[in-house]
Amino acid sequence: MRIKRCTQGISLLVILLFACAIILDDLAILLAGSTLLAGLFGLWYSFDRRFRQAVASVTVARSLERAVVRTGTTLRVKTAITLQVPDHMEVSVSEIIPAGVVVQDGKTIASSGTTAAPVTWKLAYRITPVVHGTMHFSGITLVAQDTFFESDIALAAEQFRGPVLSVQPRGLFEPSRRGLSAGNLEIEKMAVLSALGVRSLREYYAGDDLRRIDWKMTAKHNKLFVREYAGIMNLPPLIIVDLPWRGAPYPGDEFARMVAAVAGQVEHSTTMNHFSTVLLISGPNILHVIIEEKDLQRSLSELREWMHPVERTSHFYRMTDRSDLRRRIRALEIPSDRIPDSSVEKFLGSLKKQYLSSLQVQQTPAFNSQVARTFSTLNVDEVYLFSLLIGDSSHLHQLIRQAKTMKLRVHVRAPKGLDLVSFPVSPGLSGADTVEAFA
Amino acid sequence: MILRQDLGFFLLLAAGVLIFTLAASPASWYIYPVLLALAGIVLYVTRTGKDRVFYILCAAQPLVIALSAVLAGAGLFAVWMLAGIVLAELGMLASGNDWLRYAAFCGVTLVIALGIQASNHVLLPLMILIGLIALFAAVRILRDYRFRKQYTGATP
Repeated sequence: MRIKRCTQGISLLVILLFACAIILDDLAILLAGSTLLAGLFGLWYSFDRRFRQAVASVTVARSLERAVVRTGTTLRVKTAITLQVPDHMEVSVSEIIPAGVVVQDGKTIASSGTTAAPVTWKLAYRITPVVHGTMHFSGITLVAQDTFFESDIALAAEQFRGPVLSVQPRGLFEPSRRGLSAGNLEIEKMAVLSALGVRSLREYYAGDDLRRIDWKMTAKHNKLFVREYAGIMNLPPLIIVDLPWRGAPYPGDEFARMVAAVAGQVEHSTTMNHFSTVLLISGPNILHVIIEEKDLQRSLSELREWMHPVERTSHFYRMTDRSDLRRRIRALEIPSDRIPDSSVEKFLGSLKKQYLSSLQVQQTPAFNSQVARTFSTLNVDEVYLFSLLIGDSSHLHQLIRQAKTMKLRVHVRAPKGLDLVSFPVSPGLSGADTVEAFA
Repeated sequence: MILRQDLGFFLLLAAGVLIFTLAASPASWYIYPVLLALAGIVLYVTRTGKDRVFYILCAAQPLVIALSAVLAGAGLFAVWMLAGIVLAELGMLASGNDWLRYAAFCGVTLVIALGIQASNHVLLPLMILIGLIALFAAVRILRDYRFRKQYTGATP
């Protein structure tokens, strides 16, 4: 328990009165001091009683979006806290966030007024575990105060705890392939074959194309039937948003412009193609995918929830893959007659040796496989990539390469101020089909 | 027009001081209205201020001491009215339970005043008072320890 400024002042006054009473041997001053002290203790007793009542009335119900996740996955936590706020007391509660977890957004604190009433607070927030292991939600902290005193307690008994979140590790590199046999690759998911579909069948009308007659139906019903095939529509683009890292500064106005541009692109995609698909990443971390969402409002609502700088669990710094290294090695293979100096030749030889030794141990980043898997499940033929191009852009390089491997057209949208014509800011963007500023 | 509670208690205090001054006719009779006026001014000036309770208590202590010096009962009456003003200011005189707590405070202070009156010197009642307060505090701290142990998840 802590005493507040007003109580500190009154305590000082009591001490002064008692000192004067002793020095002057004056019973009148003693009476004044004693009654003040009695009043203070009465207030303390009253505060303590109300504080206990408040604590005893607390109930906590907490739920997690998922109980088992991988490191870096963002999940929603909902907590309902009910308590009886006592008279003349202000109460606030806050979640005790487990160690190794970062709160991305949402509300983890709630406060009451001074009116006595039963209150129910609903806290909703999103967390991202940055380390693996078992995370225990260990309760809440309750702080109560009035004019004279303030007290807090960490409510971590059994009834306030839980649930437990199990966080599985996520490696930076892909494990070596297994399950290869006789030219086949075993995959742990179902595959579905699709074909050109017939939308409907209808009776033949004079003027219909005779090639469309369905002879089986005609024979069955003894009437001419024609097939109506499904129409052809352009595939909607995949919109990829590269969110900035929360730990580094970023230009707020450019970010706001990027948010507006993404919202516009989503709206355009939904209007023209009836749905939109958005992939949210931050560096080499895939955060969320909005797959073929037909409802524009829902898409925008999800975007509003996600479009802010986020915590990154993995970072790339000048990350190269094997093909990059091979390309660099090839570039170093210059005929000896074109090398002007023996020291240059020695340097190039040494550099080549370094590249070759790196090539021996180079592994495929897990991000590449995740991107490839995501692309393979989506029906798209072009990609719009929105990024602020802050910091390292290796992940964009990897992403564009994966898209080009799958024969997707890539359009990069970046801030206006950058020199986007000659790509000096990021060599990784050189694989893109177009690079333009935000609209 | 509804009279504010704190103003009501102050008017009662003023009436009590007036009656005391007229009835007891002490030698320095003028000092009581002056000290009452001081308390009233502070009550008015700090009406919108923060930590008003502290200023009111400080301003009213000279009046309590001056009245107690002549008549302990008068000083006790001033203490009760002062407590009423403070509790009314804090909004702690709204329900029946609040009035009961106020009555309990008046009872405790009456016992303290009687104890002080029965003594000739300051030291003995002060020691007894401090001893009682220390005992009370020790009991509360022990209960608080057990209470926290129960709710913070430690094995009881």
